[in-house]
Amino acid sequence: MKTRHGLRRLLIITLLLGLGGARADGALVVVMSGASGVDSLTREEVINIFLGRFRQLPSGQAALPVDQPEDPALLADFYQRLVNKKPAEIRAYWSRLVFSGKTAPPRQAKSHEEGLKWLSDNPGAVGYMRSDARPSQLKVVFTLGP
Amino acid sequence: MPPSWHSSILFRTGLVLVAVFVLLGALTVALNLKYDRIQAEAASKLRLSQLLDTVESTASVACFAGDEVLAAELASGLLRNSEVLSVVIQAGELELASRRRSQDPVEASADANATPLVREVFSPFTPETRVGRILLTPNLSVIREAMHQEAHVAMVQMALQLLLVALAVAAAMLLRIIRPIKAISDGLHGMDATRGERLPLPAGHRRSEIGRLVTDVNLMADRLVKALDEERGLRIQREIDERRYHAIFKNAETGIFIIDNEGILTSWNPAFARLARLPVVDEPPTELSIFCLGWKEPARLAEVLLGCLSNHRSTAADLPFRTPEGPDRWLSMVLTPIAEQSIQGVIHDVTQHKEAERSARQMAVTDSLTGVANPLGLEQRMQELTLACDLRQHEGFALILISFDDFRRILDGFGPATGDEILKEATRRLSRSVKSTDVVARIGADQFALVLVDLQRDLDAERVAARILQGLHQHYFVAGSPLRLHVSAGIAFYPQDTDAGIPGLMQHAGLALSHAKASNGSDVRFFDPNLAKIAEHRRRLEYDLRRAVREKQFVLFFQPIVDLKHNRLAGAEALIRWQHPERGLVPPDEFIPLAEETGLITDMGLWVVEEAGRQLAAWRREGKTLSLSVNVSACQIPDGLPPDILLDLASRLDFTPASLALEITEGVLLSDLGGAQTWLEAVRANGFPVYLDDFGTGYSSLSYLKRFSVDRLKVDKSFVRDINTNVGDQALVEAVTAMARSFEIEVVAEGVEDAGHVRLLRRMGCRYAQGYYFSRPVPIESFPDVGERIPELLLTTLES
Repeated sequence: MKTRHGLRRLLIITLLLGLGGARADGALVVVMSGASGVDSLTREEVINIFLGRFRQLPSGQAALPVDQPEDPALLADFYQRLVNKKPAEIRAYWSRLVFSGKTAPPRQAKSHEEGLKWLSDNPGAVGYMRSDARPSQLKVVFTLGP
Repeated sequence: MPPSWHSSILFRTGLVLVAVFVLLGALTVALNLKYDRIQAEAASKLRLSQLLDTVESTASVACFAGDEVLAAELASGLLRNSEVLSVVIQAGELELASRRRSQDPVEASADANATPLVREVFSPFTPETRVGRILLTPNLSVIREAMHQEAHVAMVQMALQLLLVALAVAAAMLLRIIRPIKAISDGLHGMDATRGERLPLPAGHRRSEIGRLVTDVNLMADRLVKALDEERGLRIQREIDERRYHAIFKNAETGIFIIDNEGILTSWNPAFARLARLPVVDEPPTELSIFCLGWKEPARLAEVLLGCLSNHRSTAADLPFRTPEGPDRWLSMVLTPIAEQSIQGVIHDVTQHKEAERSARQMAVTDSLTGVANPLGLEQRMQELTLACDLRQHEGFALILISFDDFRRILDGFGPATGDEILKEATRRLSRSVKSTDVVARIGADQFALVLVDLQRDLDAERVAARILQGLHQHYFVAGSPLRLHVSAGIAFYPQDTDAGIPGLMQHAGLALSHAKASNGSDVRFFDPNLAKIAEHRRRLEYDLRRAVREKQFVLFFQPIVDLKHNRLAGAEALIRWQHPERGLVPPDEFIPLAEETGLITDMGLWVVEEAGRQLAAWRREGKTLSLSVNVSACQIPDGLPPDILLDLASRLDFTPASLALEITEGVLLSDLGGAQTWLEAVRANGFPVYLDDFGTGYSSLSYLKRFSVDRLKVDKSFVRDINTNVGDQALVEAVTAMARSFEIEVVAEGVEDAGHVRLLRRMGCRYAQGYYFSRPVPIESFPDVGERIPELLLTTLES
């Protein structure tokens, strides 16, 4: 598709500019703690969890999505790949929802490490990262192809 | 009178206009409202749809996240639009928010039917995933309210337009139609067309219907005025005519009157009063009948009046009128039916006409010289008498025709004045000798007629006639000297002597008169039926003879003439015979006298000489030297047989004149001495011999023989017949023969019947003989045979 090619090219340019040689084209994986008891999630489940629709895992455990705003490229890449939205749109979305206070946006990790920690600590936490940066204790439950 | 307001054009037109406008307006508003409602609903739907568009993304988030608060907020926002009645937001089956506007229950019930607008809400992240829907119910009452307001405005607008249009129409009508019509109407009310006034043309209407109307009204006024003028002219003319007729009526010389069918006079003019001798009174009688005037025969007048009434046409009559002052007058009256039971009549005095007419009638039947009746008068009188006889008023009458026998001699000798005197005297004598009831008439120059009534045939008629004739026979004194005239009379009786009325009677009396004249010594003859038979026979014979001449029914017979000197045939006498188609051969003495009388002898004589000439030419061609003699009547000389014609005939037919002898009688020489002598000399000079026929029967004057040169004498058969026995006859024939010889004239003896005659004649020295001894007259076919027998007959006479 032409649009997709265009976007991809734009992403590459952005990564090159912003990260300076970062591996922007690598696969993103949704990971959870190995103790979560969840082996895999569907894309639907991932969307529901991250965009605040259902915060419940198939196992009945509450899901805790973690955003990684310290890596804006990753975040942008994740939402782009997940729902084809820009971070600004995601923000606008949340800004409408936070008004009612019924649901909250994913927890914002101040750093990658903090993010990892939360993932490790909370069985229901669901995070995302580049596949090459995945620590072994984290379980990949869903993979977002490039 | 101005029209009442409800029947004025303006009102009625306005009414119609308003009705049409209201109807149209109502229809238009209703249609507009319906249309607007549909439009408004569609527009409302569009607007709401657009409204939904604006909240779609938020609704999508709210439904996606199942955020009730956000949904409620959204619904509240939507409700703020007045057109929205209620909003329901559902996420899947779960109702996130539901808001409804508070309103009147009445409206709510009306809105219950309203169909909610449904908008599906899709996930903001996966557009194909439906996450919920919005049910939005439109607020129809709001729309309806708007509609109502709109309708009000439209109606008000319509009403305003209507008002304006009505006003404009009314004004236009008022200005353009009603005011001009009113002006025309007012003008017509005050207009006097006879003075030449006409309607003015309203301004600006020169070509409009109003203008045409005005023009037409003016034209009609013109025509009416013209017709009125003509009518007035006619009326004036009629008055003049009436006065004129009245003047004619008053001043006419003819009496004019009018009566009803009873004869009552209703009107008359002065001339009528004068003619009818009406009494001159100031007050005319009211009931004056025309029959009460002085008519001598009122019944006749009544007849005329009835005739006029029953036939319905003009009837005229002359009526005698008794006048108090003198003799009767004749008034001519013409009655003409002019109306039912009304008759117009005119009378005028025709007394003078009547007198003149009477005198003219008298003149017509009167002889001017003698004053007795003329032929017409005689005929009229006899008509009356025959009528009276037929009615047995008398036994009959005698008609006596009287004629002077030699009146012409008197006229020639003494002149017409003397003749007139004698006629007048004769009239006087006749009138004296008859009764006053008898009629004396002069019917010709010297012929009178007497009609004697009640004269019995054979009793006293002859006596009366004799007495009358005796009177006429008396001497007439002419210039002092006595003169005697011979008079003849013929008498015929009515009704015995006629079977053809008065003309027959006249004819028979005329026959009797002719008979009386013809018979010497007898002055009076009665009509004898035999006379009529003879006359009829003669008439028929004459008719046949004319036809015979026309159709050449004659033939020539030839009797030989023998030369005793040379004992041979010398020739023949050619005798005419009439071959009548019915009666056969008619002997000459039956028709020759009639032919002489009627002049037919001329044509017959010419035919005879031509036929004889033809025969002579034939003999000449055959080399026979025979001669022919033909009889020439005294009537043919000198003009009936001119010598030149004879000469022409001889040269044309080619025979010698010497061979054609013309036999004449002494009578010829007696009658007209000069003419006959000239003719005789001319004929003989041309070479034609002339024989004197029947010598011895008449005067046989020897001086004739001296005066007229003839070539032969033919001694009449009456002398020859008896020469054998009668010595006197023998002496006479002998003397004649001797005398003729001395004149050097040959003699032909006629009537030679036997051989003795021939011997005797030969002895006397008579040269020629003719008679039955040789042959009767025979047709030409038999003549050669006769000629052959002649020598034998002569031989007999010689032998003895």
